[in-house]
Order: sequence, then C-alpha cells, then structure tokens
Amino acid sequence: MLEWAVAAGKVAFSLFVLLNFVMVLTWAERKQSALMQDRIGANRASILGFTLLGLFHPIADAIKMVTKEDFVPQGASRALHTLAPFIALFFALISFAVIPLGDELAVGGCTISLQVIDLNVGILYVFAAMSLGVYGFVLAGWASGNNFSLLGALRASSQMISYEITIGATVVGLIMVFGTASLQTLVRRQGDLLLGFLPGWGVFYQPLGFLLFTTAAMAETKRAPFDLPEGESEIIGYFTEYSGIKFGMFLMTDFTETVVMAGLVVTLFFGGWQFPYLQPDGFHFPGAAVVSISPLAVSIAQVMTFLVKLAVFCWLFLLVRWTFPRFRYDQLMRLGWQMMLPLSILNVLVTGALLLLLHR
Amino acid sequence: MPTLTIDGQQVTVSKGATIMQAAEALGIYIPRYCYHPGLRVAGSCRMCLVEIEKAPKLDIACYRQAAEGMVVHTTTEPVKLARQSILEFLLSNHPLDCPVCDQSGECDLQNFYMEFGLYQSRFLENKIKRRKAFPIGRHVMLDNERCILCSRCVRFCEEVSRSHELGIVNRGDRSEIALREGSQLDNEYSGNVIDICPVGALTEREFRFQCRVWYLNRAASVCPGCSRGCNIELHYNVNRPHQSGGKRVLRLKPRFNAEVNKWWMCDEGRYGFEFIDAPSRLQDFEIRTAQRTVVASREQAVQTLSDWIGDSIDRHGSQSLGIFLSPKLSNEDLYGIGKFARHVGIDCLDFRNPSERPGYQDDFLIQADKNPNTRGCLELGLYRRSEDSGGWMAGEIQRGKVRVLIVFLQDLALAPEFQQVLGRLERLVFVGSNRNGTAEIASLVVPSATYAEKDGSFTNFEGRAQRFERAVVPLGSAVAEADLVASVAVSFGMQREEFERERLLSDLRREYPFFDQEALNPPELEWVYQTPIGQERL
Amino acid sequence: MSRPKDAMNRLRDPEALSFWQRTYVPEILRGLKLTAAHFFRNLLIHIFHLAGLWKDRRGAETVQYPEEVRGYSPRLRSLHRLTKRDDGSPRCVACMMCETICPARCIYIVATEHPDPNIEKRPASFDIDLGKCVFCGFCVEVCPEDAIRMDTHILNFAAYSRQEMVWDINRLLSNEPQRVEGIGEIRKVK
Repeated sequence: MLEWAVAAGKVAFSLFVLLNFVMVLTWAERKQSALMQDRIGANRASILGFTLLGLFHPIADAIKMVTKEDFVPQGASRALHTLAPFIALFFALISFAVIPLGDELAVGGCTISLQVIDLNVGILYVFAAMSLGVYGFVLAGWASGNNFSLLGALRASSQMISYEITIGATVVGLIMVFGTASLQTLVRRQGDLLLGFLPGWGVFYQPLGFLLFTTAAMAETKRAPFDLPEGESEIIGYFTEYSGIKFGMFLMTDFTETVVMAGLVVTLFFGGWQFPYLQPDGFHFPGAAVVSISPLAVSIAQVMTFLVKLAVFCWLFLLVRWTFPRFRYDQLMRLGWQMMLPLSILNVLVTGALLLLLHR
Repeated sequence: MPTLTIDGQQVTVSKGATIMQAAEALGIYIPRYCYHPGLRVAGSCRMCLVEIEKAPKLDIACYRQAAEGMVVHTTTEPVKLARQSILEFLLSNHPLDCPVCDQSGECDLQNFYMEFGLYQSRFLENKIKRRKAFPIGRHVMLDNERCILCSRCVRFCEEVSRSHELGIVNRGDRSEIALREGSQLDNEYSGNVIDICPVGALTEREFRFQCRVWYLNRAASVCPGCSRGCNIELHYNVNRPHQSGGKRVLRLKPRFNAEVNKWWMCDEGRYGFEFIDAPSRLQDFEIRTAQRTVVASREQAVQTLSDWIGDSIDRHGSQSLGIFLSPKLSNEDLYGIGKFARHVGIDCLDFRNPSERPGYQDDFLIQADKNPNTRGCLELGLYRRSEDSGGWMAGEIQRGKVRVLIVFLQDLALAPEFQQVLGRLERLVFVGSNRNGTAEIASLVVPSATYAEKDGSFTNFEGRAQRFERAVVPLGSAVAEADLVASVAVSFGMQREEFERERLLSDLRREYPFFDQEALNPPELEWVYQTPIGQERL
Repeated sequence: MSRPKDAMNRLRDPEALSFWQRTYVPEILRGLKLTAAHFFRNLLIHIFHLAGLWKDRRGAETVQYPEEVRGYSPRLRSLHRLTKRDDGSPRCVACMMCETICPARCIYIVATEHPDPNIEKRPASFDIDLGKCVFCGFCVEVCPEDAIRMDTHILNFAAYSRQEMVWDINRLLSNEPQRVEGIGEIRKVK
C-alpha cells in the first residue's frame, strides 16, 4: 500500500515539476526573446490590476485555447485527428519518468528514490518514448487531410529519425565511459572527481559527445533553427489544421520535449542532481576539507541543483531558438548525416580506443 | 480658289475663306476666343494671331482671307509668344476664382493657359473689382470679373436671336457686358450664350453648383422637345450621385448639325429634361383593382397583359383591342408595336391626342408640334387615315367595340371625348415614363424608359430620321416599349429576336425608304465642347 | 559587430572560409554571445528599474502606446480638419478638388450658394469616410484654399460602426490643430 502511495507521489511530483516548467517556459519564451530583442514582451494580462511581469499570460493562453473552436477540417480523419496530439504529448511526458530529480531520500526510516522509476535501461526507454512520439506528428499530418500537413509530418519524421541516430551514437560513448544505461547510476557515477578536483561530469569525458548530443536534442524538439516540420508562417507544418486546445497540446509537446531534452543533457553530461563536492553526508572539498550537512538538506540541495541546471539549459535552448534562423532542408540533412553521424561514430571509436589504452 | 500652305500642308479653299477656315479644313486648331463659326467675325481677342510669311507682323487668322501662295505658320515662337502675351493681358483683370467657377474644366482660359501660359505672374497692380454672380435672365448668370469681352454673346443676341439685349458699355479697362436698359436676357434662345461664352462669365442658373463638369459623361442625343429634332449632347452624372442630389441628367447642350440646328437649341428644349429624374417617374409595375393597387414584378405584369389580350381576343376577337400610341415614342418602339398589332390583328390604332393643341413656333428652330416623332408615326401609318384626330377611338369605346385599351405615354384623361368613355373599358393599360391622369385610373401601369435611357431614333418634321443613344440605365423597373411588346408577343407565337434592335432597324430600312442609313448615322461630328467631359477615370 | 568588408563575399564562396568558419561553431558562439549580451544587459536594467535606479536607461525600445506616446512629426498625416474663416465658417468653397483627387473616393461634398457673391460657393455638406481614407494627403496638397489640413495629430478615431466612421462637416470643423513639440520624445499619458 505504501509502495503505491510512494509511487503515486513520485509520479505526481515529477509531473508537477515538468508541467510547471512547461508552463513557465511559455512565459519565459516570450520574455526572454523580448529581452534579447530589446522589447518588453507579454505584460498585459492582469488579475485585479496585477500583471506580475506577465506571468498570467500562460493562464490566459490556456483559457483562450480551451475556449476556442475545435476545428476538424472536412476530409480529415476525425478520430486520428483527435488522437494525434494526445499521442505526441503522452510520449513526451512519460520520457521524463526516468530522469532522476535527486538521490535517495530517507524519510521516517524509508528510503525513497527521487525518480519515478529507475530502469536499468533508462536511456533506451527515453529513446523508445521519443521514437513513439513521432507517431503523433505523422498521424497529425496524415489525419488532417491536407497534403501540406502531410509533407510537414514527413519532414518531421525524417528529421527526428535522422537525429535520433546521432543521439543514440553519442550516448554510446557515455555508456562506455560510465558502464551503465541506468540514468540514476549514471548520475551517481558522475559524483566522482576527475583528476582529483574536477567534478566527474560527462561533459568532461565526452566534450564532443556533449556538443553533438545537445545539437541533436535541439533538433528533436523541432524548434528553430530546426523547426522545418512546423514552419508556422512559411512552409506549413503538420499542425496547420489544428486549433484550440489540440493545437495547444502540440505546443505543449514542444515545450515538454524541450524540458525533457534539457533534463537529459543535464543528467547525461552535467551530473544531474550532483552539486560539486557534495556527497550524501556533506561537502568533500579537494584537500580533504569536509563540511557535514544533514541528509535532508543534502536531498533538497540535490533537487534544487537539478532544477537550476535544468533551468539553465532551458534558457540555453531558448537562446539558441531565438538567435539562429532556420536551416534549409538539405542543410539539415547534410548536417545530420554527413557531419554529425560520422563525428558521433568517430567519438565512439576514439572513446573505445582511449578506454582500451587507459584500462590496459 | 486660292491655294495656301499652313504649317507645311497645302490646302485649296474657296474664294473669300479665311485662314481660320482653311486651317479648320486641314484639321489644324487655332486657339480663339471671339471667333465663332456661327457669328460674324469680331477680331477682338487677338488669340488667333498667326505668322504669315512676307507680312510685316502677325495677323489674325479669323479675319485674314486666304490668298494664293500664302505661307502660314501657327506654331512658331512668335506665335506662341503672342498667345502667351494675349493670355497675360486677358488674365490681368481675371479674378482666378476657378475653384468656385462652374466653367472650370471646360474653360478656354484654363485650357489655353495650360498650353501657352506664362506661369510666372508679373502682375503687381490691383485687379479691377466688378459685379459678380448676378442673374441677367431666367437661365443665365453673369460674372463681369470673369469676362474677357470677346463679345460672342453680344453678337449672338444681334445676329441669331435678334433680340439685342446685350451690349458692351464703358471704355478701356472699364468696359463690361451689360443688359440694355430695362431688359432681361430672356429670349427663346438665351441658353446659347452660356455655350458660346469661352470663359465663366455666363453660366447656367439651373446647372449652378450641380456638378463639376469633369464628372459628367455625355451621350449623343436628339431633343424630344419639338418636331425640329435638334441634335444635342446629354450630359449626365452617374459618377458622383451625391453632388446633384441623385439627379442624373444635368444639362443638355446643342450638338452641331449643319442641316438641323447648326450650333443652337432653344431654351424650351434645353430645360425640358427635368422629367427624366422627376419624382413623377413611374418606377414599378402596378396592377390596380377596384380595391387596391399592388406592385408587381415584370414577369407578373407581362403575364397579366398577355392574359388580358389573349382573353379579349378569345372572347370578342382582335377588334376588341385598341392601342393609343404616342408621337414621343421612337421609330423602333413604334415599329415593334405595329409589328405585334399586325400579328394579332389589331387595327384600332392611333396616336393623335385630340386634346393636344399646336404650341408656340418661330421662324428659326421652334416648331408648333411639340412631339419629336409625329412624322415617324405618320410614315409608319399607325393611325386611321380617314379621321382627322384620334377622337374616333372614343366612339369605338362608347359603342363597346373596344374593350381593352393600351395607352402609351399619352394622357387621354385630358381629352373630353375620352374622359367619359374610359370608364367603360374592361381593361385600361398605361405604358409611360411619368405618372399622369391616365396612369391614375389604369388597371395596369407599366413604367417605361425615357429617351435618355434607351437607344432609338426620332423622325423630325422634314422626314429626317435621327438616332439618339442611351445615356443612363432605366430608372427602377422601367422597360423600353419595344422590349415590353417583345415579352408579350412571345405569348402569341412570335420570336423575341423579331424585336431585337438590329432586327427592327433592318426591317425599318427595308420597308421605309425615308429611314435611310445616312440620316441615322451622320458623319462623326465635332463635339461643340473641347472639354474633358466623360474622361474621368472610374 | 563590425565584420571585415569581404566577409560577405567569403560567405558566398565556401572555399574561401577558414576551417573554423566552416565548422560554424565559433560563429554560432559569436551569435549566441550577441543575443545573450542583449539579454543580460536588458535584464540588469529591468532589475535596476525595479529597484528605482537607472531610470534614464531604457531596457526596451518598446513604446507602451496608450500609456506612452511619442511626439509626432509635423509632417505626420493625421485626422483631417476643415479650417475656418475669421467668422468661424468653413474656408472650403466646395471646388471638389479634394473629392476629385482622392484615390479612395472617400470625400463627399455637396455645394450650395454662399450669400456673399465674392465667395459664391460653400459646402452644404462635407463628409469624409475615414473607413475608406488612405491618408495619402492629396486632399491637403490639392486644396486651393488651404481649407483642409491633416495636422490634428488625432489617430484614435476608431468607431464601432461604419456610419460613425463618416465625419461630417461639423465634426471636421471642430478639430483643432495640434502644436508640435518634442518630436520623437516619449511622453507618459495620464
């Protein structure tokens, strides 16, 4: 019984973190882009005269989308048209399940892992969920009964398949270094120090892998400069025929994927919830200085660390999204297949060779 | 027969012809103010100065007679300089109130100044103030400040109307146009001085501020005011309906026809267009019973009319139908009606309203017969030759022979003979453009198009068939009479094509020699006005 | 961010790019640096504003329109007005020049007689359909009497019906010219 409650609690907490991030991200996207472009950004939605820096806009957006007409075009497949955004959003949401928010939390003699589920093939689970998510976009394009939407969906699937290969190949290097595919284990192993003073984060073992993975992850979120599947105003994407809350769900999918991808980058390359030198019993600075802290404070610090890191990478993703113009499709494909895929395979080979040399 | 050269082109003219006429024959336009082909030469404006080789100085083209071997230049620098100087002189006391002047847009001062003007004023003195904007007759407004003293209006009153109302008084720059003491400019042709005035000194009171002339379109037409059939231009405004309060036809202007009216028309005809946009215009088909009047659609009205005719023929034979035509109908309409009447066997036809009396006439243009197409009715034979007037039809009605009467335009209720018998009719049908006494008692009223709203032709008293063209669309549901008859005739086994305009014309030409093509299509004549009328982009 | 003059030419010819340029990575970082710099600068300014400091610096170019307005240029074409004679009657003589030149055909004038024969003509009605007006200013240029101007600086004349968008002669006469001050300066509006 308690197990069930704990599991439900973990799911709820995880979803709470994720969905709030998504909501704040819609606000952050507007505000950040405004600041980058010397504008002010959304600031008009108010409750009782308080605008709170425009933080009510996500609520206003939600109300607007829910109350808007839900339009299904003539000639569309009504059932699939409705199903598609659910599929897309569902698989985006569940990929967050294996991302650890913290280490184990010991409360009242019971140890709770701050992760919805610790799969020993966690990384593969994420890939699987992402691959299934493609169905949402393809179905959306196909079920709209609009050839342009279908073309958008085809662009989406081919782009995502192309870049998933790079993602998979770069992660191979990381698995080789840390010897595990479980994300929680992976994070724990990043707590060791490298060369005695450097946090043992994946980025220091796999700098090229980090670059390739981050780039591919941005492509997976389908946002500028990789927004060819959507191309809102110019090239017509898979969700052209969507309106109201169903359109909102696709939008949410994008933001969820951004958060998931940021979480994945943090988990794989930036030590997840690891705070530098913070061990379960306190700080262990190089040179043997130890500051002990209570385990609960450590757990809270870990979760906060993870969230801050997550926020930083979300910010970085938004920064990239609002800085660079869109690729041309042939450039996108050339980048994926002719540059990133060879580089990621090279990364695996070099990693393997180095590992062989070091562990001889 | 001297032969001379103007601007490098040779032309041979009759003896006594002026350089102006020779140039006209070559199609060379020499600017002028005082010269008018219909008036004696005054030579006062000096605008038509041309350069004649071997002559000591420039000479006026309107007065200098052409001589053998003369070489004339109309576009050389001295000529242009002369025109510029003349314009500068004429404008020295001109008020330049073009914004409020009705002439602007068709003003020769404006037009020539655009071409030859100085553009840099050298005038520092004060202009002479004169009396502005005061009526000198029923139709004419005078503005002495705008006058350039070309004396066209004075000569018109001397030579054409011979009424001598106008003259030039005072001397030098105090000279101005004035009325003869105790008189008014109200002769029968006073409107023509407005046409011939090259500037805005004489303007029309009726047209005053109704519409700027560049909004007007024009159509070639024939005056329906009397049997003279003066050729006219119909000026109408459909571009800016708000300016003239919805009125469409705003003025009539004479159109030159050497054999009918030359450059002139009478005031009666000039201001006889009010009925086209008058409130009395019929706009709907009306079916009237003893109890009430209902507005009907065209289809319903045509069906009703066909039923009545067919029913009457079935019960009493075609002798029970009578048609009272009008000499205001066009030849085509009359012919179409006649065709239908022949087809169904109606021979009870006439057009002579017994209540009509001969009107005023003079020895110039105005005819006593105030109908434009009496001659056409006569030529087409649409009357009972044995009778002097249409009154015989009242007798037929009285005897109960005619039971259904179709009246076109005429107000039979005015004629005592008919007043008493119209009530005996089973059906009275009125087809006309304006409401009158007959329309009030008719059991079916059909609104018809006026001459401004359809193509057609009138035959004047000399037997000259003259074509007029459509200017505006028929008001409301109004239809041309021939179209109405065509719709009815279809129910009686006739083809609609038989009433098409081209078909009616070719039939008319074949059957009636007077209806020759040349009179219908006079050679393309010069518009009296060299103005941008009808050129506004829409 | 000045670039060497031949940078654009080199971009057109990929062979002319250096190795690092061809990887795009340094250029991408430069782009990110630029936008990030704007982000942090503006963020800092906004934070200082909240603390009541640095009020003279603007963290955004945005003019918060209904609350803030910029001083308009005297050349701005705004809502029309009809100018008046000394006695308050319109200067307009209904010459129809503006109605004629108007490319949108939004001016409707009806002329009538003026009691003074030296003026002769006046508008009985003068309507401008602002729903059709394209604010080209031709009417102002063409007017021989300086009777119509577009210097009111009134821009907020939106209405809820088409009929209300038609301004008649009385409304047009009641518009006043706007004094020009502080062109381009941002002013708070109460």
